[in-house]
Amino acid sequence: MKCNVINTPVHNVDGIAKVTGRATYTFDVTVPGMLFGKILRSPHPHARIKNIDASAALALNGVRAVVTGKDTLGIKQGIWRRYKELCDEQILPLEKVRYIGEPVAAVAADTEEIAEQALDLIEVDYEVLPAVYDPMEAIKKEAPEIHEGFERNINVTRHIEWGDVDDAFDEADYIREDWFRCSGQAHACMETRCAVASYTADGKLAVWTSTQSAYYHQVLLADVLGLKESDVRVIAKYVGGGFGGKFELDAAQFCSSVLSMKLCKPVKIVFTREEDFIASKRRTPMYYYVRTGVKKDGTFLAREARVFTDGGAYTGMGATALYLTGFFHSFPYKWRGYRHDGFRVYTNTLPSTSMRGFGTPHATYCSELQIDLIAKELGLDRIEIRRKNGHTPNYEVPGQATIASCGLEQCLDEIEKWIKSRGELPPNRGIGISSYGFMSGGIFNRFDTPYSFSSAVVTINYDGKVDLHVGAQDIGQGSNTTLAIICAEDLGVRLEDIRVHSGDTAECPPDLGAWGSRQTLMAGNAVKMAAGEAKRQLLEFAAAQMSPNIVYDLDIKDRWVHLAGRPERGLDYFEVVKKALRGKDGQRIMGRGYYTPHRKGMISPAYSYGVQALEIDVDPETGKIKLLNCVTAHDCGQPINPLGLTGQLEGAISMAAGYGFLEDIPIEDGMVMNPNLVDYKLIRAPDMPETEVIEIETYEPEGPFGAKEAGEGLTNPTAAALATAVLDAVGVPIKELPITPEKVLNALKEKKAQ
Amino acid sequence: MRTFEYLKPASVNKALALLDLYGDQAKLIAGGTDVMVQWKKRIISPQVLISLRNLAELSFIKFGGGLEIGAGTTHRALELSPEIREHFPVIHDAVSNLGSVQVRNSGTIGGNICNAAPSADTAPPLLVLDTNVRIASTKGERTVAIRDFFRGPSRTVLQTGELVTLFSIPAPLPRTGMAYSKHTRRKAMDLPIVGVAVLLSFEEDLKTCRKAAIALGVAAPTPMRAANAEAFLAGKPVDKTTLLEAGKIASEEASPRTTIRGSAWYRKEIIRVLVRRTGLICMERAKGAARS
Repeated sequence: MKCNVINTPVHNVDGIAKVTGRATYTFDVTVPGMLFGKILRSPHPHARIKNIDASAALALNGVRAVVTGKDTLGIKQGIWRRYKELCDEQILPLEKVRYIGEPVAAVAADTEEIAEQALDLIEVDYEVLPAVYDPMEAIKKEAPEIHEGFERNINVTRHIEWGDVDDAFDEADYIREDWFRCSGQAHACMETRCAVASYTADGKLAVWTSTQSAYYHQVLLADVLGLKESDVRVIAKYVGGGFGGKFELDAAQFCSSVLSMKLCKPVKIVFTREEDFIASKRRTPMYYYVRTGVKKDGTFLAREARVFTDGGAYTGMGATALYLTGFFHSFPYKWRGYRHDGFRVYTNTLPSTSMRGFGTPHATYCSELQIDLIAKELGLDRIEIRRKNGHTPNYEVPGQATIASCGLEQCLDEIEKWIKSRGELPPNRGIGISSYGFMSGGIFNRFDTPYSFSSAVVTINYDGKVDLHVGAQDIGQGSNTTLAIICAEDLGVRLEDIRVHSGDTAECPPDLGAWGSRQTLMAGNAVKMAAGEAKRQLLEFAAAQMSPNIVYDLDIKDRWVHLAGRPERGLDYFEVVKKALRGKDGQRIMGRGYYTPHRKGMISPAYSYGVQALEIDVDPETGKIKLLNCVTAHDCGQPINPLGLTGQLEGAISMAAGYGFLEDIPIEDGMVMNPNLVDYKLIRAPDMPETEVIEIETYEPEGPFGAKEAGEGLTNPTAAALATAVLDAVGVPIKELPITPEKVLNALKEKKAQ
Repeated sequence: MRTFEYLKPASVNKALALLDLYGDQAKLIAGGTDVMVQWKKRIISPQVLISLRNLAELSFIKFGGGLEIGAGTTHRALELSPEIREHFPVIHDAVSNLGSVQVRNSGTIGGNICNAAPSADTAPPLLVLDTNVRIASTKGERTVAIRDFFRGPSRTVLQTGELVTLFSIPAPLPRTGMAYSKHTRRKAMDLPIVGVAVLLSFEEDLKTCRKAAIALGVAAPTPMRAANAEAFLAGKPVDKTTLLEAGKIASEEASPRTTIRGSAWYRKEIIRVLVRRTGLICMERAKGAARS
């Protein structure tokens, strides 16, 4: 497709503000008269709160208020608002605490230090209850009950099935079954959870916060505080990372609001890094059982899987992780019969939730490693087995999803070429591969929004410059840039003509926000519609002025309003705008756009595809892994901003490789053992492999200009590619994440002993 | 409110006087890379912090065959010293991969040793170099061999009122190779799962071991010397086989713990491997030193 703006690499539109330190993050927000809040947290994994005595804290000079559950409406909230039984979290609980670090009380004081000191003076009388920390223990009959009315602590179940699974297994020449264990992961955003809440005497609340969806937080805060949605304004102009961890209500937002409403003063709460580790939410850990039946020639017939996820103390977005891991465990392959049973189990640990990939990195790791084991067992080529069974364009996943564009086969071709180019590998070196796919936005609306999923407003001013208002949330992934590019392309102006307004519920239309890789497709479609509507109005005026033969179409490209068939005949865009406004009695030209998916299956309107190859060295004496090269063939439809795409790819590899071999959240007796950046091992630059992306261009009919998901799905393959690389390099399958040197060395010793 | 008084004496003598005055209520702070972390975690709550930061009389590197290092010398200064790089590469190995550049610009070798963490990166190099630690108080000075300096995790022989001023390292024998290896999960910004320093001095044939020193970090409650492994190597021809055996012996001498950073069995395994690998580096370096 011939584009003027799309597919040209550009820096993010907010780049200058960020690199010059002028971007105002919630960390930076100061409001006159602002107080500082701190949160008292439970030292027990499971306990009944018998009494809270805050009198000594209140007596401390500089302390303005202490609030507990009794100062709240006591509403149990959750993000699945359509399912009341899954709204299970009181952020300041009235009766019980269910994990170490759960908020119990909050203090507002003149300084942060006074607030912290006040915490020591609050006396909480607990009755300690028996606790359970592992889903396989919590599901037992004799396990302690964490929430009333959930038998065996099972929080959510999910069954997915198509085809005749048992029949398909009967036809199999070879059946393999394995257990896998997938770890949790911290979002570890640069900006920890934080909020400044300012309630004023007119009954209105403004909250600056770090969020993936200002609209979600507007609604969630209104719900728990008993306010009208429109009386709550949420502002999030700049957000220091989200990765799936910032669209549930958090204690910084809730406690600062409760304190501010009590005092009619602004209150700021910023989580410490330790609080962020122990008392936010995390990637959902999972136990996976996978059974797969294939024909001798490698044709996939049937798969059945059971997953037990460690839900932690509350539901959050974790229920969606259960569903998505169930669906994407089939991906990107065709199964005659497929059955997936998911059980989300409560435990007395910090709650688990969504995180970039949302259940899919786990599903991909278990699936891809098992496929390589099957290929090895049957003596089949591992690219060929994937090609034989992979999704193809216009494939329908029975009852679940309709695939339109799919570049999986081209991706496999490219990766096969690359692997061949590496030639014979030295000992202890291996190349792992993983196919993957992901959704471009979720169709589900368990949040129960009455609004369109995405909305946008395009306004053309007298000087031809354009204001683009979107509810989509830029959290560092560059959505403002993507949407500005789409707007400029459609309107026929340049990128610098667009000013994007986002992250403020008072001035932007509602939008579900940044999750599930939805914004390029959904908000992008809304922007395209809004820009198209504005353009139509402008062209009506231009047509009247130019009076061409009625058979001609008009178009705008690069600020030139012209006859589509005869581009040399045209008018300057800025002149046309000026005159058009006068013709509209001075009214600015405005276009509105929206998008809500209809008749697009159960999951998503479109799917990205890819194949990743990862070359590693294994030190057989220490088990240590060195990442050498990572090559990803990737089908995201039409790329919008190639530079942004590269950033997403490299960021995803760093996060997913970290998940694969470094990061973990060990919990002992309910306590997170590594709540700091020394022992929580994020990957760092020297550990990154050389990365390369091979762009496979397809055209996605449902996406704006043919675009689909690009940033999140890339998190899915790397742990899988690492596991298959270890298998290739030293012949051992590591069935438990993260793949630590200890596990590798242990497996090598066991292999030697056999 | 939880707070402390911050005092910044202008000389070591004034610092010693303040130490006398405040006794156990005071804590010395140099780079602050350990002390402030401990204060924030509420592990320590001193009333007074006595700062040794930027005291010129504690910050120096004197090379003259042997080596004298002021206790207040930063890791970064050690890392950038050409003499240390050339003549005491075991120290360079340790300080050039300790924390980040920012941490190395702030943290000092004296702080690293006095903090007495089993994982202190500078401890194994100073151990194999037979370093003497000079300790000052208002009552005078004393010198302690570094192998007698550590008493347990976070515990040393330092008494109330004492501070470390100097590390004094004798000149190595001719034909000596020395190296430090650190086993980590990441390539940078990481603490050792195990740290191994080896120093090998050779006879004129560049094969026979005249003297061996092997020190281990995170292998016991304190950084330790592997005396049995050293004795095994002394007088023997050094090659892969003898080094492998020395590694086994050192591994048996070690008594590491299982923590979230590493299991005891794994640490022992790594000691075995690293003693051999580090010994081989020493051989190369000794040959290089003999050539030059």
